[in-house]
Order: sequence, then structure tokens, then C-alpha cells
Amino acid sequence: MLIEAELKEKKISKDYGLFTFKLYGDLENPEAGQFVMLKASDEPVLAKPFSIYSYKNRELTLFIKRVGRLTGKIFSSPIGEMFYIRGPHGNPYVDLIDGEKQYILVGGGSGIAPLNFFSELHPAMVYEKFYGFKGSYIRELFTEKEQRSLVIEEESGKTVLDVLEDVYSEEIGILACGPVPMLKNLPATSYVSLEAMMGCGIGTCKSCAVKTKKGVKLVCKNGPLFRKEEIIWEWI
Amino acid sequence: MGVDLSVDVFGIKFRNPIILASGPVGFGFELMPYLDFSNVGAITLKTVTLKPREGNPPPRLVDSHGGVINSIGLQNPGIEGFVEEIAPRLKELKTIKIGSIAGFSMDEWEILGEEMDKIKEIKIIELNLSCPNVKGKRRWVEDAELTQKVVKIARKLTNKPIIAKLAPDVTDIVEIAKTAVDAGADGLAIGNGIQAMRIDVETGLPVLKLKTGGLGGPAIKPITLAKVFKTREALDVPIIGIGGIMNWQDAIEHAMAGASLLGLGTAVMVDPEAPVRIIEGIEAFLERKKIESFNKIIGVAHKGGLNVH
Repeated sequence: MLIEAELKEKKISKDYGLFTFKLYGDLENPEAGQFVMLKASDEPVLAKPFSIYSYKNRELTLFIKRVGRLTGKIFSSPIGEMFYIRGPHGNPYVDLIDGEKQYILVGGGSGIAPLNFFSELHPAMVYEKFYGFKGSYIRELFTEKEQRSLVIEEESGKTVLDVLEDVYSEEIGILACGPVPMLKNLPATSYVSLEAMMGCGIGTCKSCAVKTKKGVKLVCKNGPLFRKEEIIWEWI
Repeated sequence: MGVDLSVDVFGIKFRNPIILASGPVGFGFELMPYLDFSNVGAITLKTVTLKPREGNPPPRLVDSHGGVINSIGLQNPGIEGFVEEIAPRLKELKTIKIGSIAGFSMDEWEILGEEMDKIKEIKIIELNLSCPNVKGKRRWVEDAELTQKVVKIARKLTNKPIIAKLAPDVTDIVEIAKTAVDAGADGLAIGNGIQAMRIDVETGLPVLKLKTGGLGGPAIKPITLAKVFKTREALDVPIIGIGGIMNWQDAIEHAMAGASLLGLGTAVMVDPEAPVRIIEGIEAFLERKKIESFNKIIGVAHKGGLNVH
């Protein structure tokens, strides 16, 4: 069930990068919002969750920010390096949201990964895309067309929350993934996709707990998408 | 040549020595799509407490060199929720079920023991005396006298085999183990997560919200291995070796040190199919060594090894 994943392509700009892996096995019908557990061949021991940025013909692309030991290893690995993945885990966004609506995709940093996959698979459900980053260096990772969705604070002085204010109306839904301070400042009815430290990714180890108005839930098994108003943010 | 992997302990026949240790696999149901339970010797269920517990606030888990530190904090539905919602479904898990309980007072241990005793599907009761992740509570195993009291209470309440789950990081595990066995424990689980922590150098704060947690994984294998070895040397009761078993070599080492059953925690968290891989590895090893039964290697490190000439 662990699938071998060979690093095939990487494109890095400072602390962000796009990494494409050739898989020696199939991911079964991956959907936007789902993630894979990726692990190095030796250290670190633990597998970590990564949202799917893109998947086609056994080629899996992840959009990764360098933060710890595993992401550090991915960034410094040569092409051809072997990793192991399993998945897809977690619930597809489309199973959790109102299918009749259109959505503004609000992303921050590596949180744009699942939103990119969503917009690839369900373009008709996308009203607008705002992908927020701090610095201009991020442009290097994207095509000119893709760059139209970028909101770069260093250039405009604006965050995704600022630009969202100009277009938001209640008929349009919001689908967001990114840092907690960004998610906390979205309208109450927004759907927010949470990130968490995970152990198993399938609901057994209880590491990725999130407190909601309906009790303690797990990001991997019950999420990763939740209604913003359901979450008890003080616990995060 | 087929090798015999079965293990007879506690008057129960386990089809093989690999068991899922309490904790990382929860009550097992979520693991069913990934693992055929008829392939493993047993599952030790997630620890149940008297009252429901929502567990500690996140982050509850962080990786560390050679392992992972967790501070889940016994998240569970409480004994009532367990009896009503979990117990009726236990039949679905096609292997031996070991129930795990943890009380915070002698009264609680009594109620928990009584309730576990009544559940037919539970064949063995494990007393979790060593969870490192309960805020403000000292672990029972840090005190030989308290350990003895708890085991005595449980012994009076049930005829099912009792396992005392000990911690590797106590002053003298052999002394605690002796006390537990004298009080009526049929077997010992060695051990649990070892108290550990990480600090984020950017913020200067502990990474885990609880500040400390229990370290599991390959880093602790040599430590628990020594505890299994020392305990086996002093006592002749079945031992479940738990601590950093990630592959068949680790499993064989624990068996040679004296463990009859081998518990997997971190390994299953990383790869839900690890049990199958490890069982196949044990089988291949025994075949290669022309040893007809797994039982023959239990404790050989105390008896002159494998007699390789």
C-alpha cells in the first residue's frame, strides 16, 4: 500500500517549491482536498500529510513550503530520489460543500495546493481565485496565466482578506486554506481547510484533533474541511 | 517447510506473536480497510477511562530523530460510551481483543475492571499504569505500592488474564514488575512512550501544547529491549515487548530478549500494512534458520543464543 514515489521534477523559489513525483502505483480517484502521507526512505520516521496540488497519469505534484526536517529533505533531494506515499486520505471538498454554489478560492502560502487541484477538477464551481503570498519571488513558480491569481503583499500592500472584501457577497461561497490568522478573519459561513500535525492520516491515532461545536473531531477523518463557524478557534 | 508462528500464553492461543499495541490504532475500525485483522495475533484497544476524555489540545504530536513524540492524552468515549458504542462492534475485528483501562483513583479502577470483565469479546485486560500524557497526574508505575494496589483490585474483579503495562523510564522496572506479578498480574507489557519533548527554537516554546509527551519509534527500541531483557531475567511471566519495533529484525530482537508477544505502535502509524510485512519477515527468518517454531526463539539471548556453530 505504500507506493514508491520517485522525484521527477522540482522547481524551487526560496522556501517554496513545486515537486512532481512519478508513482509506481495508482492513487485511486484522488479529489481536491484529499492528501497523501509522504515519507522518506529512512529519516524522519514519521510520514507527513501533503495536499494534492495536481495528479495526472501517476504523476503527483505537491506544492511545499520548507518548514521542517522532511520538507528540508525533499527540497535538497536530487532528481531520482525515492520517497513513499499512501493515500488519498481525507474527504473530498465536493462531499462537504454545497454543490449548487460557486466559490471564491482563498489561499495563503502552501494552502493554495488543494485549491489548485479543486480549480483543475471543478472549474465551473470557481468564481474567483486569490492566492496570497508575502514576496514577489513566488512568481517564478507560476506561469503568466497562473500569476493572475496571486495577491502579493510586498507589491500591492494588500492581503487576500483585503481583496476579498471588494468582491465578496453572500451568494458566493468561500473555500479557504492557509494560515490560521487568515482563516480566522474570514466570514463565518466560509469553508476552511485545516492543517494539522498528523500521525496516521486515517483516523486511528487521534493526533490531528480539532475542537468543534459538535465535539472533538479529527482533521484527517472528519475534515480537512470544516465550516469556519463550527470551529472552536481558542483550542488551535 | 511451514513454520509455526503461534504463541500459547495466558491459556490463549495467538495465531502469531504480532499484536497492535494500545493507542495509535484506536479501536481498530478505521484500520480495517488497510489491514486484515485475521493476520495479526491480537489488538490491544485504545485505553478507556471512566469518564469521556477529549484529549489534550493540539499540537499533540511532533516528529523527532528516530521517532515521534505524542501527547494525545487518552482521548476516548469513557466506559459508558465504550460499552454502548464500541463493545457491540468488536466482533468485526477478527482477532483476539485485549481491553485497556486506566483509572485515576482506586474506585475508578474498580468500576473499569468490572465493566471490562463483563464484555465477552474482551479476552484479556491490560492495566495502563504508565500513560505519560495525563496532565497533572503522576504515573501509577512510579510507585510500586500503588501498582500493587491497582493490580490487586483488578485481580479480585476478573478471572480474565491481566496484563500490567509498565513504563521503561522508572527507577527500577524489575522491582515494579515483581510487585505487579506478586499482586496477580498474568503478564507484563513493556513498555510505553518515554517522557520526551521538543522546543521550537524560533519561539522558545515547547512544540507540544502539553509541553511533554511520550517518545516512541526506533529511538526507544534499544532502551525497551534492555528492560524486556532485565525483566525476563528476573521473572518467568509472559512479556509483551513494545517499543520501536519497525521491522522483523526488531521483532526478533524483542523475542530473543524474552518477549512472547510483540506490540506495534509507531510502525502501524507510519504504515498500516507493517504488521503483515513484519510477520512475513519473521517467518522467512525462522525458515532460513531452520527453526520450526517461533516459541523456540523466545528468550534465547538468556540461554546461549541460537547455538550457531
